[in-house]
Amino acid sequence: MPKDAVALCARCHFRLVHRKKNSRMRTFAFSLAALILYFPSNFYPLVTGEYHGLHSETTIFKGIHSLFNDHQYFIAGLVFCTSILSPALKIVGLLFISTTLNWKGWERSRTWVYKVIRVIDPWNMLEVFLLAISISLIEMGRVATVHPGPGVFSFTAVVALTLLATLSFDPRLIWDSPEEKRHYE
Amino acid sequence: MSDTPDDKSPRGALPKAKIKKTRHAWWLWAVPLGALALCVWFVYRDFVATGPVITIYFQDASGLQENNTQIRYLGATVGQVKRLALTKDSSKVEVKARLTGSAAHLARTGTVFWIVRPELKVGAISGLRTIISGEYIAVRPGRPGSGERTNIFVGAESEPIAEEPGALHVTLLMPSLRSVQEQSSVYYRGIRVGEVLKYQLSDDAQGVKIEARIDKEYAPLVRVNSKFWNAGGIDFHFGLFRGAEISAESAKTLLSGGIEFATPTEVGEPAPDGATFRLYDKPDDAWKNWMPLIHLDLTNQVAGTNKPASLSF
Repeated sequence: MPKDAVALCARCHFRLVHRKKNSRMRTFAFSLAALILYFPSNFYPLVTGEYHGLHSETTIFKGIHSLFNDHQYFIAGLVFCTSILSPALKIVGLLFISTTLNWKGWERSRTWVYKVIRVIDPWNMLEVFLLAISISLIEMGRVATVHPGPGVFSFTAVVALTLLATLSFDPRLIWDSPEEKRHYE
Repeated sequence: MSDTPDDKSPRGALPKAKIKKTRHAWWLWAVPLGALALCVWFVYRDFVATGPVITIYFQDASGLQENNTQIRYLGATVGQVKRLALTKDSSKVEVKARLTGSAAHLARTGTVFWIVRPELKVGAISGLRTIISGEYIAVRPGRPGSGERTNIFVGAESEPIAEEPGALHVTLLMPSLRSVQEQSSVYYRGIRVGEVLKYQLSDDAQGVKIEARIDKEYAPLVRVNSKFWNAGGIDFHFGLFRGAEISAESAKTLLSGGIEFATPTEVGEPAPDGATFRLYDKPDDAWKNWMPLIHLDLTNQVAGTNKPASLSF
């Protein structure tokens, strides 16, 4: 089967692929986009609150800071890990793997980074739940209203893009021989 | 499996999959490019949507909060306080605030900023909303098209008095202030035709000087020979044979003070702007019987409002 080709099953007409197509390029493109949007998602307010004309905006960092000041160390740490640390690690890790894929002698570090990504992966979606819970807690009708701020779009985009990047990454690429790499990547 | 008669393929030979060529997915690069464009747009919007940072100096900035207190004009939010700091000589508070892009033209000389606080005056409660929402900074722009661009302002202590074109300003002199207050009403035949703007001791400290404004459409009522008297407070007389005599102009002037005036039947010249009158403690009985014939142009008066329609910025 040639390199840039898919097979169509004669019976069910479903696509048959040997490997995921353009896996490396997809991973790289998605994680690059996620990296770019990572900054606005942390700099722009995630939640804007309105309390009788009082206006307040909260970024993730400010939220963590106030949690920490309220001695909610565990929740502060949890939010920090799930919202700031784990997306950053994951994005940087995927970028690292997709960039160094053809470099010789980096196999060990690639494997190590991939293991880290696998560990933090399940924790990545937690932030959306946290956000949903906090908004439903503070939504108290007319007294105080909380709206998603401009940062929430890029935040959601980061979550979605890292998800896509992980999905499109084929881990077998990490250990492929150079010949296989030329064929599949 | 292939026992059915319509299966044409010979037994044992698997059906062959069709091979289809795929194109290189160049469109993938649109994803990071789109993300980059979004970032650029965020930054661009931030620079365009926000107006200049202005500095306002206040004597007292209590109630203002960093990154919270809003600047409002006509009920719309036109800016937000960013930082509070003391000036070097510790005499004032330096308030840094960022205006919104649509309000950037407010940063001109002639614009006045003041802090709205809840205030309980006799006869009027103002700024009631601020009890809950906290203080905010109100702004009144200068005349449109006038004034140099500037980013430094000195905040007013209280709401500045609105300039009303065509209104008549009169100065009233009296030996002591009694019940007159700022915003006390000026009445003509019981109708509110103006208000007291401010009062102060006269220059020689021998009396009190009251500045009052008569609304534009009622200005012709004031003549050079008009008589003003204090209509507020309670008049309490105790006579040996008359018993006690209490008189008050109205329940409202009882609380907030008020000034009334009358013009003689033989009307004099219209009073010039800034004319000075003596404010009597009580009216002569004859003054109340005066019946001058003065024509007023009240076409601007809509029922229920006594603000001229020309009040605009």
